[in-house]
Amino acid sequence: MENNAEYVTIYVMGKKHEVPGDLTIMKAMEYAGHQFTRGAGCRGGFCGACATIYRKKGSYKLEGALACQKIVEDGMYIAQIPFSPAEKTTYELDELRPDANTMLEYYPELSRCLACNTCTKACPQDIMVMDYVQASLRGDIEQAAKLSFDCISCGLCAVRCPAEIVPYNVGQLARRLYAKYIDGPSQHVLDRVEEVEEGKYDEEITRLMKASKEELSELYNNREIDLK
Amino acid sequence: MSEDVSGYLDYMQESIRKVEATRASRVGKSFKRMTAEERQQVLEAYHPDWKMDKKRELRVGTSKGELMPLEVADILEAHSTIEPDKIDLSKIDYDVDVLVIGAGGAGLSAALLAEENGIAPDNILIVQKLRLGDANSKMSQGGIQAADHPNDSPTIHYLDIIGGGHYYNKPELVEAMVKDGPGVIKWHEELGVLYDKLDDGTMQLAPGGGTSRRRMHSCKDYTGLEITRVLVDEVINREIGYVEFTSAVEFIKDDMDQVAGAVLYDMDSDEYKIARAKSTILATGGFGRLHIQNFETTNHYGATGDGIVMAYRAGANLVHLDSTQFHPTGSAYPEQIVGQLCTEKLRARGAQPLNADGELFVYPLETRDVEASALIRECYGRERGITTPSGVKGVWLDTPLIELINGEGTIERQFAAMFRNYNKFGIDIRKEPMLVFPTLHYQNGGVEINVKCETSVPGLYAAGEVCGGVHGKNRLMGNSQLDLYVFGRRAGKAAAERAKTAKIGRLNLDHIDRYEKLLKQEGVETERKSPILLPEYRGEKTLEHQLKIL
Amino acid sequence: MTRLAYYPGCTLKTKAKNFEDSTLATAEKLGIELVEPERWNCCGTVHSLSTDDVMHHLAPVRNLLRMEELRDAGKVDSRQVVTLCAMCYNTLKRSNTVFNTDSDRRKKIRDNMYKEEKEYSGNVEVVHYLETLREMGWDKVKEAVVKPLTGLKVAPYYGCLLLRPRGTGIDDTDNPTIMEDLLEALGAEAVGFAYSQKCCGSYNTVHMKDVVADLAYKILNHAAEEGAEMLITACPLCEYNLGPMQSEVEKKHPVFDSIPVVYFTQLMALAFGLGEEATAFTGNTPDPRPLLREKGLLEE
Repeated sequence: MENNAEYVTIYVMGKKHEVPGDLTIMKAMEYAGHQFTRGAGCRGGFCGACATIYRKKGSYKLEGALACQKIVEDGMYIAQIPFSPAEKTTYELDELRPDANTMLEYYPELSRCLACNTCTKACPQDIMVMDYVQASLRGDIEQAAKLSFDCISCGLCAVRCPAEIVPYNVGQLARRLYAKYIDGPSQHVLDRVEEVEEGKYDEEITRLMKASKEELSELYNNREIDLK
Repeated sequence: MSEDVSGYLDYMQESIRKVEATRASRVGKSFKRMTAEERQQVLEAYHPDWKMDKKRELRVGTSKGELMPLEVADILEAHSTIEPDKIDLSKIDYDVDVLVIGAGGAGLSAALLAEENGIAPDNILIVQKLRLGDANSKMSQGGIQAADHPNDSPTIHYLDIIGGGHYYNKPELVEAMVKDGPGVIKWHEELGVLYDKLDDGTMQLAPGGGTSRRRMHSCKDYTGLEITRVLVDEVINREIGYVEFTSAVEFIKDDMDQVAGAVLYDMDSDEYKIARAKSTILATGGFGRLHIQNFETTNHYGATGDGIVMAYRAGANLVHLDSTQFHPTGSAYPEQIVGQLCTEKLRARGAQPLNADGELFVYPLETRDVEASALIRECYGRERGITTPSGVKGVWLDTPLIELINGEGTIERQFAAMFRNYNKFGIDIRKEPMLVFPTLHYQNGGVEINVKCETSVPGLYAAGEVCGGVHGKNRLMGNSQLDLYVFGRRAGKAAAERAKTAKIGRLNLDHIDRYEKLLKQEGVETERKSPILLPEYRGEKTLEHQLKIL
Repeated sequence: MTRLAYYPGCTLKTKAKNFEDSTLATAEKLGIELVEPERWNCCGTVHSLSTDDVMHHLAPVRNLLRMEELRDAGKVDSRQVVTLCAMCYNTLKRSNTVFNTDSDRRKKIRDNMYKEEKEYSGNVEVVHYLETLREMGWDKVKEAVVKPLTGLKVAPYYGCLLLRPRGTGIDDTDNPTIMEDLLEALGAEAVGFAYSQKCCGSYNTVHMKDVVADLAYKILNHAAEEGAEMLITACPLCEYNLGPMQSEVEKKHPVFDSIPVVYFTQLMALAFGLGEEATAFTGNTPDPRPLLREKGLLEE
């Protein structure tokens, strides 16, 4: 594909490169010759592998973004954070309960939260990170689960938090607790599982398995469509 | 991007005006579904699978003579990345009961089930090319099918699957999927996966292309992400062994012709490592990064078809590789995100595909192959698409309809990912349509398995996208997610059972030598090596001046 | 109804839910609607004592900004924010004072307040619910009483943070009367005792339980010696150390006077005749209900 865009200057970990100005940071780094092993995953904004921090020309502000989504700008100073060191607490979900103190018990550093909002500032997914950390701190597991849902664990919040909290680990625990214990399983799913185990559908499915292509075709093309 | 300036260029905006003009009249209106003949016609004329000059017959091995995309034939007709006589098999780095290659939905499920079926966590090893969970599984947006609603049944689900797959699916694999489906959802709920529910606590279910019931369970449009991250969390909780940035490049066999582990490649240190295992589970996913017919892809960075290469060299059967799925709605604009997935659920919730004149030209939820062909026809056959500055053609997907039909706020809630991603480029999909075109999405065929996920080679199991025969020649939306967990779990269980009694003999790489001879015999002359592990995206001028000193 | 901004604080939503429930019920009876903002954060409960620590003021000041937003949106009728927990009260009030009097730290706090659309102007007044009652007038409180707590001897326990330091305290440090006035309005008998402002041990309850046990022992015993049958408090941590922690006290001092400890608003709810859900006595250990029944103040 022809690239007619104007070229811009970027600095990748200090080294200067001229790259087409309409590329994302990821593609610009590849254009400049980097082959990613770390720092690239889904390339589509879903996995958090390409967490990147940068400063813009003339600005002291430290910004965060996903390399696969952010377009380069002239004078950008870029560094990648493909890994944030964060030991995840282990637990047996079956033994936990969604009590007010559970989150604090597994992540006691939550109490160090200063409500400074640096995490929210760093988040490339526009999540209200401080709010879900605060919800976790005071035991509001439902709110923590709902607010943290869009998190892709890129790690930018964790590397910037002055209280050294790892918000994405906290959010993961909140969501599992909420889903399992507060939201709870759907009854019709459990009912259907029992029916299958009892063999309710065995005969009719076996018949279909033995049917010829013509028979199946007939059934398929004339099947009832009920999308209510 | 300023609030008032759209990400769309002027000439695109003109077309959008036409879309807006027809919108009110299109609410509630649909388009006639195609007849079986019409479907066959549009497929043959426009689906990439029918471009015979882009395929060739494989020249080596048990699938010799089978037609498949050139790019797939290229990786199968290639040399190994290792030279067997330079590999020291006597020094074993990892000696385990169950080796899982790949840590997407299938691999993670397999590892968890192996542990639940009696294998100690440190006797399981997951090897992963990138990070735990980095896989196509994570990127799945719309949902997972399972027949648990009262007005649905596994039987109806069976018919949908086999019809959608053009009757090429293996019946017993389809049976496994539909019967295990509800149990998979139950398992997820026990693990704490947060599914969308209605106020009364029942699952929020959506239709999908080719489904006759509402059957799609979802977690907003982050379904794959939500499930994958819970599984990763659980794998770590149970202290199951894993090593990241370590790819498998060839299977190791023993003197009883069993697969007995794999040669691994550490991508940080460039060294090879030997893993011996009583059972090996292949869960390496798809091949989108081979860019079949130069299509952009929805797949993740590491989807390079490694599994079928390794399996084929070890003597496993491959099926249906002539069939590739193109997702009808990949992003066509802006250029930075061309090829990325726009979930089918957008259409399930009311978005309609429209040509440049704002006209609906196809039933929005035909099966994916038919839908994709119709979009290609509209752009290239009837020339009624929009062409972007970079030369990509596309049609509109009228997303504002979703807000009109389901109420304001629907997109922000249920399509948070799409809304966010497009916002970053100045396009508000609540108010403006998306530009879409088919994108390379899914490997329909692959390694042949039975209901226990056994391949034709003892000691080798396979699960997930790397397998063939489950979806026939066209996969329905939400069934690949189902496939991952159904067969991932079965593979884990079966592999664990076998590992309890299996005996491994003397290790060797003879099958690699045999394959090399086969290539020579069949006159395959090439410098190609496979698996390729990662696609090459470095700039041209850099590649021309490559020098390897360190 | 007068609408006042209300800051609950973390514990009021979980362990001290009875404090909140009884407060909201009594406030309604007195014609006050307590408006909680949609977003608020933990006050930090350790307001910063050193002049070069600005970070720990972000949390309390951010809450004051939330209260100001309520006023800007027309959801409340005054510039006050009402607090219940003595620690939250103290933290918010002192940070507000720092913000309003120290221009250097005010600037730093503002500069580090990320992701807010507006800057805090400093124009919020932090009050404790007891002050709200006093401002309203004790006769108004008395008017709302349907069942005077006649014969109930209650010792007001102030703890550390309601009265100190000067300027932050809600009453005179040496001779406070605010809780006594409340008790009088409710028809109860206020019992003074020397330890009403002695620290309960605070966070030592986490890892140095016997420190708390000793302090609680002294406080409870002295109150009982003076004739008190019950203690009231305005702080969830004090309530915990003097109430549920009595099991620890018993371990060290097997013979001591176990008397119940309740939040002042629970007695208000009882006197106002607001019912079980408002008095919320099921949340208290030891259970105050046997005593209240004995006194004929609670139906069976």
